Amino acid sequence: MTAPVPALEVRDIGRRFGGVVALDHVSFKVGEGEVMGLIGPNGAGKSTLFEIVSGNLRPSAGRVVYFGSDCTTMPAHLRRRAGLCRTFQKLRLFESMTVADNIRVAASQCLTAGRDPRDEVGAILAQLRLEAQAERHPSELTLADRKRVEIGRAIAGHCRLLMLDESLSGLTHDEAEHLINEILALNRLRGITVVIVEHVLSVLAAMVKRLVVLHDARVVADGTPAEIAHDPVVIEAYLGTKRSVLR
Amino acid sequence: MDPPETRTRRRRASARSLLADRAGRRAFASFIGPVAIVAALPLLPFVNHYILAVTVRALIFIALGQAWNIVAGIGGLLSLGHGVFLGLGCYTTGFLFNDLGIPPWIGVWGGVLLSVGVALVMGGMTLRMRGVFFALATIAISLALDQLARHFVDLTGGDNGLALKFLGDSLWAAQSRSPVPFLYGSLVIVVIYYWITRWILMSRFGLEMQAVRDDEVAAAAAGVAVFRTKLLGLLASAAMTSIAATAYMQFYMAIDPEAAFGLAQAIQLQLPALIGGLGTALGPIIGGAVMIFLSEVTNWGGAKLGISGIDILVYGLMLLVVVLRAPKGIVGWLFRSPQGSKG
Repeated sequence: MTAPVPALEVRDIGRRFGGVVALDHVSFKVGEGEVMGLIGPNGAGKSTLFEIVSGNLRPSAGRVVYFGSDCTTMPAHLRRRAGLCRTFQKLRLFESMTVADNIRVAASQCLTAGRDPRDEVGAILAQLRLEAQAERHPSELTLADRKRVEIGRAIAGHCRLLMLDESLSGLTHDEAEHLINEILALNRLRGITVVIVEHVLSVLAAMVKRLVVLHDARVVADGTPAEIAHDPVVIEAYLGTKRSVLR
Repeated sequence: MDPPETRTRRRRASARSLLADRAGRRAFASFIGPVAIVAALPLLPFVNHYILAVTVRALIFIALGQAWNIVAGIGGLLSLGHGVFLGLGCYTTGFLFNDLGIPPWIGVWGGVLLSVGVALVMGGMTLRMRGVFFALATIAISLALDQLARHFVDLTGGDNGLALKFLGDSLWAAQSRSPVPFLYGSLVIVVIYYWITRWILMSRFGLEMQAVRDDEVAAAAAGVAVFRTKLLGLLASAAMTSIAATAYMQFYMAIDPEAAFGLAQAIQLQLPALIGGLGTALGPIIGGAVMIFLSEVTNWGGAKLGISGIDILVYGLMLLVVVLRAPKGIVGWLFRSPQGSKG
């Protein structure tokens, strides 16, 4: 019996910026349908890894394999059309467009033949509770709604793997909780594999079953939230003490 | 006020149904009125040769502004040397007519081909880069062509420029002593360019261009082929500029390096869209009309006072006022909504 093909496989990824090593032999796999967290302190290399996986940055070494296909040299827009989707740490919405048009841009590019982008936009607006905001511009929305719009744009059309870059930062506790539920619903209802980057472990622990920890450009731990919380290397990396990082 | 669902449906009108929704019909109505007035001008008793000639000048600059608006207003590519395509269009049409006897009806397509070719090379070299490289490249190519035009005297007339051989009133040569044929010809170009701009704004391609203009990285993350989109926008704009350039050449009957590739000309090409409203279909039309009207009035006043070139000062002041008081141009100011208008 053959093993299932992982949704994403990062093989020995390295990236240097001049003399600075941003990523050093980073490897991990994400199974199809999984919700995985990627954490690490500031400067650990999370965002660089995101840029490499999404196609905005070429690695100095290593391969990115998406559902069994090597996509290391594939341009960002083709990865997106293949269903490899992302949001940004600093929101990047199309500010001159309405919420509906923001989503329509992606829906019109990434839908399979025969499907109407308008139906897809309507479905996403409904799923993310953005129907009332459809004709507003992003600048008129709350931060939580702006983040929803970016997620909506990311999943519009064809999405198999969603990478969320600190989508919960800046939100109140209630807003973060709502957004977490919506992300988990996307995983459950649309079967989307989710990789979430956060630098606060406690935020992720409640929503993922597996965490990968980056520190100083390397993967230092990979396991369940409970295992990670008590991993001495992770504790040292985060706090420099032996206290639990989940406190 | 319409409920959001109705407005959403209205905005989703396809490119094939520009008149199918209320917004499209309203925009058409606000456009067709001035078009009818301009078309009727030659029939009015008080309209003389001078007024007709000024109107033709305005229409030609409107068309050139509409072409620039495609690449800069909708696509967000700051082309500071769009005179390149004006020059290529004028010189090609002129050379083909004077030296090979090819009428401008055919010569125009030679200019379009050459402009598209240059745009292809220029875009291929610069559009993958981010930031100001494209803007700088357009200036560099403009300066290079200026020098080439001055150097190849046999081909271009050098510093003195290229004058069309005048055959009198001739449909074959697209020449006339009266400005009336040029008025209708350039009016047709403006109407077609308005329609093309509306079509782009309503189409999937327009959505892609606007996404690229707003944020290239986010556009790629939404599946937009950024390079292809920018290149197509540039090619369309170059072709449109070159066609309007033929109208320019036939009307003025001459072109010289300064008028084609000079900085003042490059700025004049941008003003209609900048003053009227970048990225809108009506903007370049309103902006071009205001620009030429003010230019004529101030030149007339300047002549009375014995001051020349006052129109350049007025252009500068207009640009300053627009940038400071109405960054979305006259259209954005007239239709004040939180995010402007597609016109």
